[in-house]
Amino acid sequence: MGEELNVSDILQGGNGVNEEDDDDDDEEAMTAPEVLQKLEEAWMNEKFSPELLPVKSNLVECMLAQINAMETNIENAKKADLRISIHRMEIDRIRFVVSSYLRHRLAKIEKFTSHVLQEEEKRRDTDAPLLSDAELEFAKGYEANLKSHLASTALRHMPTNAATFNDKEMAVLPDLNSYVFLRVNETTENVLVEEATVDVGEEIMDFEKGDQHIMMYKPISSLVESGAVSLI
Amino acid sequence: MAMDPSEVEFLAEKEHVNIIPNFSQDTIFLISGDIGPFSAGLPVSVPLWLAVNLKQRQKCRVVPPDWMNLEVLQEKKQAEMDSRFFTEMPSPFYIEITQLLLQCATDDIPRADEIRTLIKDIWDLRIAKLRSSIDVFIKSEESHAKLNFLTLMEINTVREFLTKGLNHMHQLRSNLTGSGATQSSQFL
Repeated sequence: MGEELNVSDILQGGNGVNEEDDDDDDEEAMTAPEVLQKLEEAWMNEKFSPELLPVKSNLVECMLAQINAMETNIENAKKADLRISIHRMEIDRIRFVVSSYLRHRLAKIEKFTSHVLQEEEKRRDTDAPLLSDAELEFAKGYEANLKSHLASTALRHMPTNAATFNDKEMAVLPDLNSYVFLRVNETTENVLVEEATVDVGEEIMDFEKGDQHIMMYKPISSLVESGAVSLI
Repeated sequence: MAMDPSEVEFLAEKEHVNIIPNFSQDTIFLISGDIGPFSAGLPVSVPLWLAVNLKQRQKCRVVPPDWMNLEVLQEKKQAEMDSRFFTEMPSPFYIEITQLLLQCATDDIPRADEIRTLIKDIWDLRIAKLRSSIDVFIKSEESHAKLNFLTLMEINTVREFLTKGLNHMHQLRSNLTGSGATQSSQFL
């Protein structure tokens, strides 16, 4: 988009913008409203899921690029234009979603630091990394600071047999058995809702599109990832 | 994770309502989708957040949604009373939309006070139903429940209490069967 565009040219093509991300071959071209929709779903899922979900960097980056382009255009527009305030409001709304999404992730990274880093190690080279590069750096820094803090305030005063910190054993783990509310986006049959235990057998049911349920997170975690259900 | 009612309202503000603008304006290309063109005096569909803002700036009249009239709501209330289950609401954000529109556009909604009362009645009926179904659900010791037609705001009123309660019950039960060792962060 050129520099001298006025507001009437703002995003003339804006809603047809493809998600330009060369590294993502599995990602189809999406329009800006679709990206926003996906990001809002990711925001809600992240908010309610007990564990950290794989990062949606491409959605975040795409939205930030849209916001930046829009802001450049606004600056070049006439001040009195009604559209400017409307675009500003929309930008504020989107920015709220993006920051809330990132904040929820940071909160989980702080809570489950070692666990998140261990998981990330396992899947760093796969298609869906858990953390963005910035988050990875944050998590590593946070872990290092936490460890040195624990060492200097407590561990060095301990008897030698208790003076080590084992993050594999001490790591705080997300409670995957937490109850969550969910809405079904795609009809899915034979969902295992309760694993077999000593006194009850396994329980299987069909999810129909539009249904809402409350149940444990663990059995449906893969459906959240695939988008077949959304947490609400 | 708790959700603030204002965040539910934020989601509701994406719903579209019709307004009658008193200005003319070409199509606006928002990131979330095109809106307009606006011609003075002709109804046009915009997201609720924009409708509220334009109304506050006295740039439009709001057209109340089809369901926001006494007849429809009376029927709805009756249906809700007659049914043991939750009935489908005309909008998944009925309470938020009513709240917002009655706040900023009272003068555009015929018999606003009666509408407010009816919506409140329906809400009360549904929340009472929700409480008694939770009671049944907990006593049944089931591990899941279907909550069709419950709206997000309704879910949100019981979210914390219900999920935390169920988490604790699950923990207690799995301690009984001896499989409770896996939950290390349950009470953190």
